[in-house]
Amino acid sequence: MPLLPDLKSVFLNVPYDEEFSSLYIAYIVGLCQLGLVPHLASEIPGGERRLTRIIQLIQSCRYSIHDLSRVEVNVAPSATPRFNMPLELGMTITWQVLNPGQHTWFVCESEPYRLQRSASDLNGTDPCIHDGTVVGVLRELRSAFRRDRAPSVPQMLTVYGLVDSALNSVFKKNGTRNPYNRSVFLDLCSLTVSLGTFYPPAKPAV
Amino acid sequence: MPRPVAHITAPWPTQDEMEKSLRISKARKRALQPLVDELRAKLSNRKEVPVALIEPEKRRKRASAA
Repeated sequence: MPLLPDLKSVFLNVPYDEEFSSLYIAYIVGLCQLGLVPHLASEIPGGERRLTRIIQLIQSCRYSIHDLSRVEVNVAPSATPRFNMPLELGMTITWQVLNPGQHTWFVCESEPYRLQRSASDLNGTDPCIHDGTVVGVLRELRSAFRRDRAPSVPQMLTVYGLVDSALNSVFKKNGTRNPYNRSVFLDLCSLTVSLGTFYPPAKPAV
Repeated sequence: MPRPVAHITAPWPTQDEMEKSLRISKARKRALQPLVDELRAKLSNRKEVPVALIEPEKRRKRASAA
């Protein structure tokens, strides 16, 4: 039996592609600004089979976000639809049904009503529609995760702008231009947390 | 089914608690400190970013650079 999930942890199930990177950074910034801790499958060190690691990650997180906004087929030759995000959503739903009260999942989309066509089994589930924009992602996160003294969307957007402006420096530091790289991800989280003005001061040592 | 909402009633985590949950090492923090200082300076000199300014331009630029 896995340990109880970390109440701050959010499993982020998003497409790992260049065009999604702005929204990916918005998810990181938004979650950290709401006092939540994002986790990615790419963050877990290797060793075990990838699927096993993803299942363990889902089990260890209290929440998960599944962005199904990039379901369209790529125009490149041998165009292949993306199945990873729906697969991981399916695993999450199974985990949540078997362990009621231990996990809450959210589905995000960029277009209203498209989910009814792409995954009709989810009919009855109201997705968070972010319109494919950074502001939309921040707005939807703030609506989904409600807490007192949450920063406003413009406040979150200010921090997003700063973190995004540091992206090239973070790439340079890590010797990669892949925003989904584990080290880049941790740097982006660290920068956001360092800029967060919403966290209470550290407790004094006793 | 209505859209799920998470009402978070736990106290806000401190910066230390966030960093611990993210497993951010001291070395990583140290390496990022100059960048953090630079961004904090920008933050203190900056007003909120107008929502309308951030989107299409940046995305177009990224897409054309790729």
